[in-house]
Amino acid sequence: MPLLEFLKPKNNKKQKVLLLGSGALSIGQAGEFDYSGSQAVKALQEEGLEVIVINPNIASVQTNKGENKKVYLYPITPFWVEKIIKIEKPAAIISSFGGQTSLNCVIELHKSGVLDKYGVKVLGTPPASLEISEDRELFANKMEEIGISIAPSFAVNSVDEALKKAQQIGYPVIIRSAFALGGLGSGLANNPDELQNLSSSALTNTPQILIEKSLYGWKEIEYETMRDKTGNTITICNMENFDPMGIHTGDSIVIAPCQTINNVENNMMRDAAIKIAHSIGIVGECNVQFALNPQEYAFYVIEINARLSRSSALASKATGYPIAYIAAKIVVGFDLLELKNPVTATTSAFYEPSLDYVTLKIPRWDLNKFTGVSKLLGTQMKSVGEVMAIGRNFCGVLQKAVRMVNENEDGITAKIFRNATDDALQKELISPTNLRLFAIYESFRRSKTIEDIAQKTKIDSWFLSHIRSIAESEKELLEFFSCPQKMPSVSKSDVKKAVERISKEYLRRLKYMGFSDFQITKIFLEAFCGTDFKMSVKEIRALSLAVRNARKKLKVLPVVKRIDTTSSEYPTKSNYLYLTYEGICDDIAVKKKNNSIITLGSGSYRIGSSIEFDWCSVMASAYFKSKKNDSVIINCNPETVSTDFSASDRLYFEELSFERVLDIIDIENPLGVIACMGGQNPNNLIAPLSEAKVNILGHSQKSVEDAEDRGKFSAMLDKLGIDQPAWTAATSRQEIDNFIQKNGFPALIRPSFVLSGTLMNVANDKQSLDYFLSLTKDISADFPVVISKFIQDAKEIECDGVAKNGEVILSLISEHIENAGVHSGDATMAFPAQKIYGQTVNVIKTIVRKIVKGLNLNGPFNIQFIAKDNDVKVIECNARASRSFPFISKVSGINLADISCKVMNNEKIGKILLDESEIPFVGVKASMFSFQRLDGADPVSGVEMASTGEVGCLGKTFNAALLLSMESTQIKKPKKGILLSTGREKDKVKFMSVIDNVYKLKVPVYATSGTAKYLQDRGYEVNTVHWSSSNESPKAVDAIIDGKVDLIINIKKSFEMDEFQNNAHIRKTAVKRGCSILTNLEKAIAYFRAYDSYEELQKSDECISL
Amino acid sequence: MAKEAQKLRKERKKARLELSNGIVLEGFLIGADVSTSGEMVFNTGMLGYSEAMTDPSYLGQILTFSFCLIGNYGVPAYKDGDFFMSLGHESSSIKTQGIIVSDIFDGFYHHNSTISLEDWMKSQNVPGIAGIDTRFLVQTIRENGGLFGKIVPQGAKSPRIDRFDFLKNFSNAQYADPSKYNLMPSVSIKEVKHFGKAGKAVAVIDCGVKWNIIRMLLQKGCRVELLPWDSDFSKVQCDGWLISNGPGDPANTGGLVERIKKGVLPQNKPILGICLGHQLLALASGSATKRLNHGHRSHNQPVYSLPQKSAYMTSQNHRYAVDKNSIAKGWRLWFVNANDDSVEGLIHKSKPFMSVQFHPEASSGPNDTGWIMDNFISLL
Repeated sequence: MPLLEFLKPKNNKKQKVLLLGSGALSIGQAGEFDYSGSQAVKALQEEGLEVIVINPNIASVQTNKGENKKVYLYPITPFWVEKIIKIEKPAAIISSFGGQTSLNCVIELHKSGVLDKYGVKVLGTPPASLEISEDRELFANKMEEIGISIAPSFAVNSVDEALKKAQQIGYPVIIRSAFALGGLGSGLANNPDELQNLSSSALTNTPQILIEKSLYGWKEIEYETMRDKTGNTITICNMENFDPMGIHTGDSIVIAPCQTINNVENNMMRDAAIKIAHSIGIVGECNVQFALNPQEYAFYVIEINARLSRSSALASKATGYPIAYIAAKIVVGFDLLELKNPVTATTSAFYEPSLDYVTLKIPRWDLNKFTGVSKLLGTQMKSVGEVMAIGRNFCGVLQKAVRMVNENEDGITAKIFRNATDDALQKELISPTNLRLFAIYESFRRSKTIEDIAQKTKIDSWFLSHIRSIAESEKELLEFFSCPQKMPSVSKSDVKKAVERISKEYLRRLKYMGFSDFQITKIFLEAFCGTDFKMSVKEIRALSLAVRNARKKLKVLPVVKRIDTTSSEYPTKSNYLYLTYEGICDDIAVKKKNNSIITLGSGSYRIGSSIEFDWCSVMASAYFKSKKNDSVIINCNPETVSTDFSASDRLYFEELSFERVLDIIDIENPLGVIACMGGQNPNNLIAPLSEAKVNILGHSQKSVEDAEDRGKFSAMLDKLGIDQPAWTAATSRQEIDNFIQKNGFPALIRPSFVLSGTLMNVANDKQSLDYFLSLTKDISADFPVVISKFIQDAKEIECDGVAKNGEVILSLISEHIENAGVHSGDATMAFPAQKIYGQTVNVIKTIVRKIVKGLNLNGPFNIQFIAKDNDVKVIECNARASRSFPFISKVSGINLADISCKVMNNEKIGKILLDESEIPFVGVKASMFSFQRLDGADPVSGVEMASTGEVGCLGKTFNAALLLSMESTQIKKPKKGILLSTGREKDKVKFMSVIDNVYKLKVPVYATSGTAKYLQDRGYEVNTVHWSSSNESPKAVDAIIDGKVDLIINIKKSFEMDEFQNNAHIRKTAVKRGCSILTNLEKAIAYFRAYDSYEELQKSDECISL
Repeated sequence: MAKEAQKLRKERKKARLELSNGIVLEGFLIGADVSTSGEMVFNTGMLGYSEAMTDPSYLGQILTFSFCLIGNYGVPAYKDGDFFMSLGHESSSIKTQGIIVSDIFDGFYHHNSTISLEDWMKSQNVPGIAGIDTRFLVQTIRENGGLFGKIVPQGAKSPRIDRFDFLKNFSNAQYADPSKYNLMPSVSIKEVKHFGKAGKAVAVIDCGVKWNIIRMLLQKGCRVELLPWDSDFSKVQCDGWLISNGPGDPANTGGLVERIKKGVLPQNKPILGICLGHQLLALASGSATKRLNHGHRSHNQPVYSLPQKSAYMTSQNHRYAVDKNSIAKGWRLWFVNANDDSVEGLIHKSKPFMSVQFHPEASSGPNDTGWIMDNFISLL
């Protein structure tokens, strides 16, 4: 029996194993840990273990209730983990499936002796080995011992020391901090000044930093290794960064397997990776990163991660080898030879997958969502998600991946730099932002040479030559379509005629080069009408069907290939699939009488659409699996559970584009397609798919359109007599002024075209209105500005529910802690609602019924309201599953996703009435922000969403749940001091209701001058600090920099620019220094009020579990 | 240096791959404009095409690379007669009859490369086809056991038959099976060669030896006496024997087995057999060999060592294997394949004789079993 002795059942009772998650999604630690954690849970349950999961990430699949599983939605800190250990008495704890958070926590629990005290064993790589992997000096010593080179690097504890060592190594140098994830607090310094700045900032967060030789321009290569307790070791996959050293691997485009290295290089690094795993004593998975000299056979090892990681998740999806699942088996005692490769089911798990395709990962950045953030890429990760494309050549996967990640069908041919000067292009090549790929493409369109681009970007010419090929192909096709006289308009038959001129062979070649039908159509339009043709995506998409039809006629069709880990050496029944034009036959044969249901996933995680939609997709797939349908998933996000091939009967790891979804529908001939569970991305496909006669389950195309079209929805509300904030879609400045005149400030401005992104803003006066409008291109019928009355001091309320044929099956009401004005994705939410008048609830429920009827909804929905003194207005209605579905489902105990599926499956289902008072606890969902990684971003929450993740915690009381959710999102009890700026006069008054709780924390209180005076006048002792623009000192920012405060309450006074900038300086400094920060009055008040329950919560020996 | 991928496809001449089961696949001609025939095999290694193509064990075979992108890093520098300068080459020329790929990169940017894969193939008169659904082809080869093929360029010229001795048998054959012929004369040296000046003397029987075997012996401080396959082994003075890898059926090697039995075994000096050498040693010791369905050709064959109780990733390239039920008296199983349980190594119970089916010298593939060479040398 391979199971470790102490994990075997005792007296017929299962042993418990504690598995720590990674908490809320943040930059550097995202959905990949839901994937690895849920695989681990499955692997452990199969071995007869009871799994105790601690993770406040309520939207994750791993925190689903299950048999032989208990879920604690608590902060992953030694304090809470110890409490749960006391309750559960687990035999062992696993550190490696919850990212750096989990690893750090386990190391701490080990060091403090807690694990020994309760007799909890650490499974997998032992703590002593973990320390070697985490402490750079110990690691460096170990590497020296086994003769593997590491880049010259020194650990220093002070700025002076840093400067000295940098002199020794030579500039440029890299600064890194120990015990940090995602390259937090790291950067490149070209001179002593830059080093001084970077190191002093980094040293405030960590006692020790590293000064390293810069390897800018070297190739960055990773190996995923797996080692069992007997020492058998394999490397599962190697991966090569398209972007060379200098850009964080999380922000790099990554290809797997490596493409530009030869056998000698591969094996010298592979040997090193295995040697390192042996020497450190890894048990389980370990990621090893190398820098490879592009000019000679030489390399350095950069670092290792003795745990599952983003890269291991990517490697699992790239190879099909379920790394986390196998790693979990290994840590409980199996050796690799005792396990089978789950993909083949017949061959050994001691196996290095062979691929007969390539995969390309492209990160997703949402930098436009953050005001003021630097878009430059460097050693600090900034991306919030990623996609992976699978194909059989580089041009094809690159084009596919670019389309996937930007959710538009333009792909790399998007004209982002079309009007840029050569100088601007060059700048982008040398100092890359998230858009460099497009600059490279444009450079090749301008016939720049590979050598030139290679010299500027340090990107391997092999990659560049392929990008040039795509650019050449585009030019060639433009030439092919060229028409002597530009036409003013175009019809479907024009496209048809033009496309029919393309030979079968040429069309094949275009598809092989990765051009979508949409791109081909667009290139035709450019040739036919000139570069300035104005046509909506919808229109181009409709025209592109002519290309599709021509393709089908010529039988230029993609084929389905399997990912099987063996390159077909062994026959497999793998259900992990992709489509390619490089092939002549399908690997699978779908039954003629198919009963498949396709669930469209959510694509890349991004701000506004994240793990919660993956949860919904996974639930939908599981539901139809349980109904004996062939449950099919289409998704392209490697960080997800939905792209675990065991989550469906068939997984198409593919683009969620109109063209590709139709391709798969042609192959699958499904009973129906679910587009309402994956968030807005698949929701946008409902219209074109419906028009293509695809059976969309759930809401009709009309319902979705009526809900989404602002004009239609508003008209319906008017007709139903439902109130809404005043709004208009202004097509001129005059119309805007008229609106303001009638409705007054503040007003919410939503331009349809913004140079720097898609920012919404609240204008409070003419000055700010002018400023925000100056950011828009022009105001016209084509680019209207939506302007609406911004209602201050109102509550925001949401209703999640499911409808069937226009009748409400279930509706559940939750409330925001923050007043209206904070994006619902950033807001803190309580369920069941705590502070809503009964009257308001009745009004809302009545409105919900009316809207559901009016739109004739038939599936999941979410409606948002604002309420001020029982006066309820509707803001919007989403005719799809919402962000809060997992939260509401887990707190209420009613799975909204399952009920939605019942409706979509047309099952008989009656009204579900829930007595919310029967729910034995309160749930608070709070948002996680990643501002610390976003240099220059102002960490204020507003109408534009900025959070990267969320948690949901349960408490006996609202206060307890709130405290837990705040702690889980890094709002920590202050130890040094509190800095207050409590906003407007009436805000100050409100804040006084909790002022005693502030002082009860027994730390010094600082306040900016207005707030300080207000407090002093009322007899409170307070240290006065000043705005940066003031002549007086001390300054507020200095109190932060000097480490006198670690909790900052910064409530904006108005929306005025001057006040805004001063406070922004305080907020940005606070974030940089790792302080907890609250910028919303209601949230701050709720937080301090919650301290009423602090003692009780800390002392209680009970914890709530699911 | 590199032509655009799409131009490549446009300007290419077409070529057909005709298979002995009647299937014909169409693609683009790469390399030399000549036709050829051979036994169809596939390798699932993702790197190391130059090593594979120069590996004499592939003699007479048309090699399909299952990995989709071949040629990315060009062909490593080659210096005639200098093993160490010629890393990436396992013999002095391409040994495969031809190659089949999905996509080829016609350029080279790697610091250690001097020629593109295509130009190299042209210079050695070796044809290939790109644009083939290699995944489908691998499955076809896997399902058909023995499959033979012909590369036929558009307006094909007749095949060149002067590259190797055995090819004269191919000239009229529709689909020729190379293992029907003794391939030793085509791959083995004609005269004895000496490498290295000091250290223990290892006599290497050249059955188509991979240069990395010689590199490793030299690096580990041995002298090498490289012997033609038809030498009289009983007269050779040495500290130990290494019977090399090579192509074809071990039973069809023109008296080599007998000469090993009579000339090498009685000396009772340490012997290491590798791949074909392992099969020859097994036959000479009284075990039997058999033909596998499609063999093992990859960098990821898991083997398990029974005495060491540990597993290793190995590089392999063979169709024949020792029959597990035939292991001769005095020998025991050393390694087995963790996937299909086939024999991967034998070791003598009392004498210093050992042999492995896989390649401890790797190149290409993982170096995990290089210690076998050390073990062998320690016995000298």
